[in-house]
Amino acid sequence: MMGFASAGEILKPGSQHEQSEIARLSSFVGAIALGDIVKTTLGPKGMDKILIGGRPGGEDTVRVTNDGATILKSIGVDNPAAKILVEISKVQDDEVGDGTTSVTVLACELLREAERLIAMKIHPQTIVAGWRLAKDAARSALEASALDHGADKQLFLKDLENIAATTLSSKILSQHRNHFTALAVSAVLRISAAGDLQAIQVIKKLGGTLGDSFLDEGFLLDKKIGVNQPKRLENAKILIANTGMDADKVKVFGTRVRVDGTAKVAELEAAEKQKMCDKVNKIKAHGISCFINRQLIYNYPEQLFADAGIMAIEHADFEGVERLGLVLGGDIVSTFDNPELVTLGTCDVIEEVMVGDDKLIRFAGCHRKEACTIVIRGATQQILDEAERSLHDALCVLSQTLKETRTVYGGGCSEVLMSNRVSQLATATPGKESLAVEAFANALRTIPTILADNAGYDSADLVAKLRAAHTAGVSAAGLDMFTGEVGDMAQLGVTESFKVKSQVLLSAAEAAEMILRVDNIIRAQPRQRERH
Amino acid sequence: MATTAIKPTMGMGDKRSGGSSNIPKSRQFKDKEKPTHIRESNIVAAKAVADAVRTSLGPKGMDKMIQSGSGDVTITNDGATILKQMKVLHPAAKMLVDLSKAQDIAAGDGTTTVVVMAGALLNSCNELLSQGIHPTQISESLQTLSEQGCKILEGMSIPVDLSDRDALLRSASTALNSKVVSQFSSLLSGIAVDAILKITDLKEAKMVDIRDIKIVKKLGGTIEDSKLIEGLVFDHRAHGVNKVEKAKIGLIQFQISPPKTDMDNQVIVSDYAQMDRVLKEERQYILNIVKAIKKAGCNVLLVQKSILRDAVSDLALHFLAKLKIMVIKDVERDEVEFICKTLSCRPIASLDHFVPEALGSADLVEEILTGAGKIVQVSGILNPGRTCSVLLRGSNKLVLEEADRSLHDAVCVVRCLVRHRALIAGGGAPEVELALGLADYARASPGVESFCIRCLAGAFETIPYTLAQNAGLNAIATVTDLRNRHARGERNAGINVRTCCVSDIIEENVVQPLTVSQSALSLSCETVRSILKIDDILNATHD
Repeated sequence: MMGFASAGEILKPGSQHEQSEIARLSSFVGAIALGDIVKTTLGPKGMDKILIGGRPGGEDTVRVTNDGATILKSIGVDNPAAKILVEISKVQDDEVGDGTTSVTVLACELLREAERLIAMKIHPQTIVAGWRLAKDAARSALEASALDHGADKQLFLKDLENIAATTLSSKILSQHRNHFTALAVSAVLRISAAGDLQAIQVIKKLGGTLGDSFLDEGFLLDKKIGVNQPKRLENAKILIANTGMDADKVKVFGTRVRVDGTAKVAELEAAEKQKMCDKVNKIKAHGISCFINRQLIYNYPEQLFADAGIMAIEHADFEGVERLGLVLGGDIVSTFDNPELVTLGTCDVIEEVMVGDDKLIRFAGCHRKEACTIVIRGATQQILDEAERSLHDALCVLSQTLKETRTVYGGGCSEVLMSNRVSQLATATPGKESLAVEAFANALRTIPTILADNAGYDSADLVAKLRAAHTAGVSAAGLDMFTGEVGDMAQLGVTESFKVKSQVLLSAAEAAEMILRVDNIIRAQPRQRERH
Repeated sequence: MATTAIKPTMGMGDKRSGGSSNIPKSRQFKDKEKPTHIRESNIVAAKAVADAVRTSLGPKGMDKMIQSGSGDVTITNDGATILKQMKVLHPAAKMLVDLSKAQDIAAGDGTTTVVVMAGALLNSCNELLSQGIHPTQISESLQTLSEQGCKILEGMSIPVDLSDRDALLRSASTALNSKVVSQFSSLLSGIAVDAILKITDLKEAKMVDIRDIKIVKKLGGTIEDSKLIEGLVFDHRAHGVNKVEKAKIGLIQFQISPPKTDMDNQVIVSDYAQMDRVLKEERQYILNIVKAIKKAGCNVLLVQKSILRDAVSDLALHFLAKLKIMVIKDVERDEVEFICKTLSCRPIASLDHFVPEALGSADLVEEILTGAGKIVQVSGILNPGRTCSVLLRGSNKLVLEEADRSLHDAVCVVRCLVRHRALIAGGGAPEVELALGLADYARASPGVESFCIRCLAGAFETIPYTLAQNAGLNAIATVTDLRNRHARGERNAGINVRTCCVSDIIEENVVQPLTVSQSALSLSCETVRSILKIDDILNATHD
């Protein structure tokens, strides 16, 4: 195989093959184009995008978003390099929840620098070597500048608030930042370091404004209580089940009963009813006061529950049931023969509450005390969805910060700090790698440039000032995006999680390096679609 | 002060020359062509939506006739309904449709106002953008605007006591005045107020669930024949008996028809004698059920609809009629809870549970003949729940549906007052006050924000302007007059459409809940902000 000169002869028809210069060019073009799409969403004055379609809901669903990961996830890309960037933003979203735009933009800027170096006939491997040096220097600079207030409760709380505010300031929630900061911080503090975000439930309700959103110290379920059943329970014992409440059917296709008279059918019907009744009795034997089923509860069992004074909630969706199991501390059961083996969920009060136009069921004082619900209100569905995404980012970052308590300054401060250190390294590095190291510093510096550009400030002027301030030793200098000047980030409280920042740096460098090392793109023959 | 005075001229110059030599360098707004283009297209689309509903604003607003794809015609004056039916395509236009929906949920009324307001704000934003102000700056100013505006509105509001029925009536009729059915506003507002007062417990009322009001629409008669009914109305025919006094009402969720199992069943008949027996058994089976019902003392039977089989077979109807039991078929499952609450009865899911305790009692259940059909009315219910029913009548379907929507608006207005007990003047008064108050605020605030707020504040005058225009008044003269009076401190001066002049609108009894104005302001600001922040439209792939 190695001996063939042209790929055309060894690959199946329909496959494509791009080599060296062309391959690299196509990688650069794809990655840079992708970076340019999300670039404008970066920072507190970043813009939003409308996404049309792309959800099973239908052709014409409209989403308005500022979240890099969401944008990248939704637009279909065909360029392999662009796909890698989409991947890293996804990983960033899963790992730390925020910085999804930054990571894409940084990787894109690194590649832009690389393109320039390649044009200067510098070998990709040399660039990669230089970048590795630069990355280590940047990381150690970031680590040195990180502050750890984990031991001091007061300061740490302040840190958390600042981090939440910084994350939210780049989103739709920015104007209600203080409100949502308080919401997010108190929600995350409830679940504490070990807890998982599952215990925080987010419910979206159309109507009202974002400012009307609130945190409920309990668990809200968007379902209805059965007719004639108690609407309020105290010290409830709850059984969570996933079971069909109709008569159990024989699940063999085509089974049917043959009888020779109506009376026999009536007997059968009675037998079926008896089965339902038996099942309800078995459930009642658990000594419960509330029964929640994932599937439907029909009229007859509903009445039996009502007669027994048991609150029955039907059709709680799958996610709802799982969460309930988690927060109420109960098992999800499907058979009811062994009441002694089943752990029941408990909570202090179950009651109906009204949110906007709808009634919700509220579980207060749950088994897991940390459980809570954030209800988001907003004028349109788009605003609600976007608010949920933003809040999710903030919650993720906060819970990460609870584990890794170190923080760094935002507003382009850490980027300039790193870039200055990397520049110093460049001057001390002999050989061609020095150029690559300098390129890395340039790429880092584009982040504050974009921040300023998005806000409509004179970026060249501001970034130069910022750089000078850092060189002069003001290590907390950053961009004050509200006045358009260089300001003290410590005073303004623009703080970001160390974990997020370092993850952005490492992921972006890694992805850019990976794309740079590609010199051959082979596209397999597309799968033939067969028409029937 | 100085900045405010200089800025506009600078902006104007900038607009024409396209250059920007006289704007400070650091403030220079460099935006690429595409985002500007996208923003413009969004604003144009959203404004088009606002313009479409503009003429239906206010008591003299015009109605719209909308023909749906399937040929159904709707005539309405309700902004939310018009927009819902319009089927807009542009994403930004959709956001405005959602906005009116949100206002409908939050306040129930003012769905046209909120869209017109958003359109006017967008217009001002467009001006600001063309003068080279960055969208985020405008967006922030909008936020301040909304906060300050709410304070101004709160300042001019009048607290209201729920026992003051007149005040409630006045605000409900203001909401109704702009509708097709405005000549019946006094009747419908009475119904709305009484209905809400009936379903709420005034002492601890914050929770008002308007689903506790059941509206039954019946063709025939005129709207004047509509009434609030203390009791329950079914839009169904009664079977068997037409009138039952001292009724015992049972609501059953099982069926009185030949038995059917969940599994498929087959009755095999091998000879004639057996066929006879099958028929006899069926008769016996149904007769047993009917007898058990009679035994419990029930004489009115409500039967829940069943998708699996006949809820009540003809044979059963026959037996029930013989035993003088009135039957109402096809009660929807959603209605069960409402009925139970009203009659204080329990739904009965199986024959074994058919006991006298589960029945509800009423003095009279009777079938009434109305124009196009029959309804069943239950009155004199023993310990009734906090619910009520409204019987709406209308001479044609379109009027009837519009009356339904209007009544819904009026009910929502009263509900707003129960939740937040404050009234505010109508007739464009709050908007003029907003425009003036915010302009004052702008004068005192620093920087670009001051300029933005001043420009945006002017947008609120669009509401009185449109009101006047729709009423056929000289809009410019009217709005100027209005502004003068407000500047002189007549905070409640508004456009009196009936006498076509500007007067103290509170004396004219044109009032609306504070919630309606406040939520219109904050919701429209929120939506405009999110439209401004968009700089690209991407087509997503289908995964």
